[in-house]
Amino acid sequence: MIEIKNLTFSYLNPDGTQKSEVPQLSRVNLEIYPGEFVLVCGPTGSGKSTFLKALNGLAPSFTGGVISGQLLINGIDYLGHEPHSFANLIGYVNQQPEGAFVADTVLDEIVYSAEQLAMPEEQIAIRVNWLSNLLNLEHLLDKSLVNLSGGQQQRVAIAAALISGAKILLLDEPTSALDLDGATEVLAILKKLANEESVTILLAEHRISRVLGSVDSVLVVHGDGSVTKGKPEDQFNDARFAPPIIELGQRLGWKPLAISNAEANKRWIEAPANFEKLGVNQPHDLVLKAEDLVVSFGTVQALKSCSFELFGNQITALMGDNGSGKSSLCWALQGSGTRTSGVVSVLGQDPKELSPQARLSLLAMVPQRAADLLFLQSLADELHESDEYAEVPPGTTASNFQKLAGRIDTSMHPRDLSAGQQLALVLSLQLVKDAPVLILDEPTRGLDYAAKRALAKQLKNLRTTNRSILLATHDIEFVAMVADRVLSLVDGNLVSDESPIDALGAGSSRASQIAEITATPGLITIEQVKQ
Amino acid sequence: MQRTKRFHLLSAGRTHPGAWWIAGISLALSASLSSNIFVLLGISAVAMLTVKLCRDESPWARSIRFYLVLGLIVVALRVIFRIFFNLADAQSGILLNLPSVEIDLGFGNSLHLLGAVSTLSMNAALLDGLRLAAIILAIGMANSLANPRKLLRATPGALYEIAAAISIAINLAPQLITSLNRVRRSRGLRGSSKGVKAISGIVIPVLEDTIEQSMQLAASMSARGFGRRETHTKSVLITRITTFLALTFIVAGVAMLLISNSTQLVDLSVLIIGFVFAFISFKLSSGRVIRTQYIVLPWRSGDAVLLSLSAAVIMSAFGGLFSR
Repeated sequence: MIEIKNLTFSYLNPDGTQKSEVPQLSRVNLEIYPGEFVLVCGPTGSGKSTFLKALNGLAPSFTGGVISGQLLINGIDYLGHEPHSFANLIGYVNQQPEGAFVADTVLDEIVYSAEQLAMPEEQIAIRVNWLSNLLNLEHLLDKSLVNLSGGQQQRVAIAAALISGAKILLLDEPTSALDLDGATEVLAILKKLANEESVTILLAEHRISRVLGSVDSVLVVHGDGSVTKGKPEDQFNDARFAPPIIELGQRLGWKPLAISNAEANKRWIEAPANFEKLGVNQPHDLVLKAEDLVVSFGTVQALKSCSFELFGNQITALMGDNGSGKSSLCWALQGSGTRTSGVVSVLGQDPKELSPQARLSLLAMVPQRAADLLFLQSLADELHESDEYAEVPPGTTASNFQKLAGRIDTSMHPRDLSAGQQLALVLSLQLVKDAPVLILDEPTRGLDYAAKRALAKQLKNLRTTNRSILLATHDIEFVAMVADRVLSLVDGNLVSDESPIDALGAGSSRASQIAEITATPGLITIEQVKQ
Repeated sequence: MQRTKRFHLLSAGRTHPGAWWIAGISLALSASLSSNIFVLLGISAVAMLTVKLCRDESPWARSIRFYLVLGLIVVALRVIFRIFFNLADAQSGILLNLPSVEIDLGFGNSLHLLGAVSTLSMNAALLDGLRLAAIILAIGMANSLANPRKLLRATPGALYEIAAAISIAINLAPQLITSLNRVRRSRGLRGSSKGVKAISGIVIPVLEDTIEQSMQLAASMSARGFGRRETHTKSVLITRITTFLALTFIVAGVAMLLISNSTQLVDLSVLIIGFVFAFISFKLSSGRVIRTQYIVLPWRSGDAVLLSLSAAVIMSAFGGLFSR
C-alpha cells in the first residue's frame, strides 16, 4: 500500500530558486493498493519519470530539487530517505537496461541487490529459482548480458528488481528501446506478475494501446503539477497522449469508452462508422536507386543484397525488428557508413564519393539520437553555423526551422527544446541545401502521440515532387499516419514492398490498432474515420 | 575464426583471476631479479605463449598486443638513449664509432653526446630494456587472462568501496567508446566544422552522455541497495586502518626488496608485517555481515597448477640470487 500525501517536488536552479513557477509535482494526494497495476501516462516532458523517481527516493537524491509531503509505504513515511534504505520494498527498472547493469552475467546481475541487502544465501537460492521460473530465465543464467536481446535484458532487469523481496515495481518506459516482439514479451511478463504474484506495478509507457486492456487504473501526470488517478476510460480527456483506441471511442461518442481491443471490436461491429479511403500519393521521378547493397561487419552480414528504388513525392517506411539491418541500410545509403558491395545512386551520383559538404545537397539524414548533431550554446548559433557551413544566404535555415516548428525564441539553449522541437531543428539543419533524399532513423522514440502527429505533418510538408523520404522505424501507428509505401526488412533481406493498407491492415502481423479493432479492409488510421 | 588447440585446464574462463595475477606477478618478480638476457627472453616468450593458448574471446584478451608494443618501445628507447647519452668507456670493445658532440652548458660544464659506443654499454642497455619489457609482458599476461569483473568479485570486503568504484569505471569505458563512435558518425552528417567547433561538437555530446550514463548506473545501484550504512562504524574504521597499514607495508616491503636487489632481514620483516596486517584486516572484514557473497569463485585444479608453477618460478628466481 502506497499513500502519497501533499507530495510537492520542484527542480532548482543553481542559485537555489525554483526552476519553473509551477512545481513539477504539486500537492499530489493519492493511494495505490497492493497488487494494483497502474499505467502512468502524460504528455512528453510532463514529469512521469520524476513522479516514479519520487516514489523510490531517486528524486531528489539523484535528480536534485526539493521535495515535501508524505510518502507512506505500508504506513511508514520514507520521504527524504535515500533509495538504498528502502530498496527491499521497491524495485526500479528504467528505459535502457544496458546502461543500468552492474554485473556482466545474468546470475550476477540478478543477485546483486540481494547481496547488497545481506540476504542469507539459502534465501537467495530460493528466490533466484522462483524468479528464473517465473520470467523464463533458467537457460540464460550463465549467459553474458551483452549477448541478450533487448526483451531478455529487460526481463533480467525485472528479476533483479524483484530479488530482494520488493512487492512494488516501478518501470520507466521499459519498452521504449524494444521492438514489437521485445515489447510484447516484457508486457506479458508484467501482466503475469500483476495477476499471479500480486506485485504492485507502476508502469510509465508510451505504447499505451498495448497495455490499456490489462491495467487496473491509469495515473496521469498532467505537466502542470497535478497528478490524477482513475479508471482507464475516464483519464484520457487530454488528446496529447490518447492512444488510437480512445480517440476512436471519442470520435464515435462511445460511452463509456472501450479500453480493450475486444470490447472496441464489439462496439464497432454493432455500429460501424463510415471512413474515407486512404489517399494514394502518385510517385514522381526516380530519385535514388540501390542495387545489390551488401553490408557486412567482420563475419556478420547485416544486409544481404538489397535492391530498391525511391521516388519523389513519396514517404517510404522501412520496417523491421531491432537488428534486422535498418540502421545499416540507412548509413550505407547516406555514404558515410560501411558498404561492402553494391551500387547507390542519387540522381546519378554516388554519395560515398562525395565530401560531407557536397553530400548535404544530395542526401540529408537524421540519426537515431537527433540531439547528437547539436553542440552550440544557443539556437541562433546553430542556425547561423548551418548557413555558414552550407554557404547559403543568412537566414535560410532559420526560415526552414520556422516553417516546421513555428516561432521559437532563438536565444534558447538547444538542449532545452522539447524532443519534437529538437527533431524539427535537426531536420531544418540537414535540409538546408534542399536535398532530394531525406532519411530518418527511428525518429519517433520518446515522442507522445501529439508530437508524432506534428512530425507526421512536417514530413508531409517536406514531401515534394522532387524529394523522397525514407523512414526507418518499428512504430506501426506512426507509419500508418504518414507512409505511402512500406518496405520490410527481415534479417538483412528485403522481404516485401507493399502499400500501407496491405502492410498494416487487418490480419497482418503488423496491423495498426485501428485495423485490429475494426477488422475492416482499407482502414488503418483514426484520421480516416468520419465522425 | 579457427580455434586452435587450447589448454582446457588453464583456459581463461575456468581459472580464478587471482591465480593469473599471482602467476603474472611471480613472472614479473623473477624477471626483475634476473640479469640474463636469455632468461628474460624466455619469460617474455612464456607470457606471450600463455596468453595465446589460454585466452578467451573477451575484449581484454586482445590487450596483450598493446603490452607487446609497449615492451618493444621500452627496449628501443633504452638502447637509443644509451647511444645518445653515451658514457665514454673506451676500455672495452667498440661496437659503433659515432662522431661525438660536445654541448657547452656554461659554468665550465659540458654535455657529451654520441661518440664511441661500447659492446658492454649496449649489453647493459639491452638487458635493462628487456627486463622492463619482460615485467610489462608478465603483467600484461595477467591482465589479458583475468576477467577484471570476476577479480573484483573476489576482492575481500575491506576493499569493497574501491572495487565498486573500479567496476563502475570498467562498465563505463566501453560505453564511452560506443558513444564517441556514435557521435563522431552523427557529426559527420552535418559536415565537419573546423577548429574548436569540431572538437566541442564531439566532446560536448560525449561528455554529456558519459555523465548521464554514470548517473544512471549510480542511480540503479542505489535503487538496488548499494551504499547501505554499516552499523558498527568503529569496527569499520579499525578495518580500514589495518587495510591501509597492510597495503603500505606490503608496497614498501616489495619496493625495498626490489631496489636493494638483495635479501636483507629488514626488507623481509617489513613485508611480513604487511602480511600480518593484511591477515588481520581480512579477518575483521569477513566478520561483518553486511553483504552476502552469493557467487563465490571456486579455486579449481587448474588454479592449483598455476599457483605451484608460480611458486616454482619464484623459488628458482630467489635461488639464483642466493647462489650468486
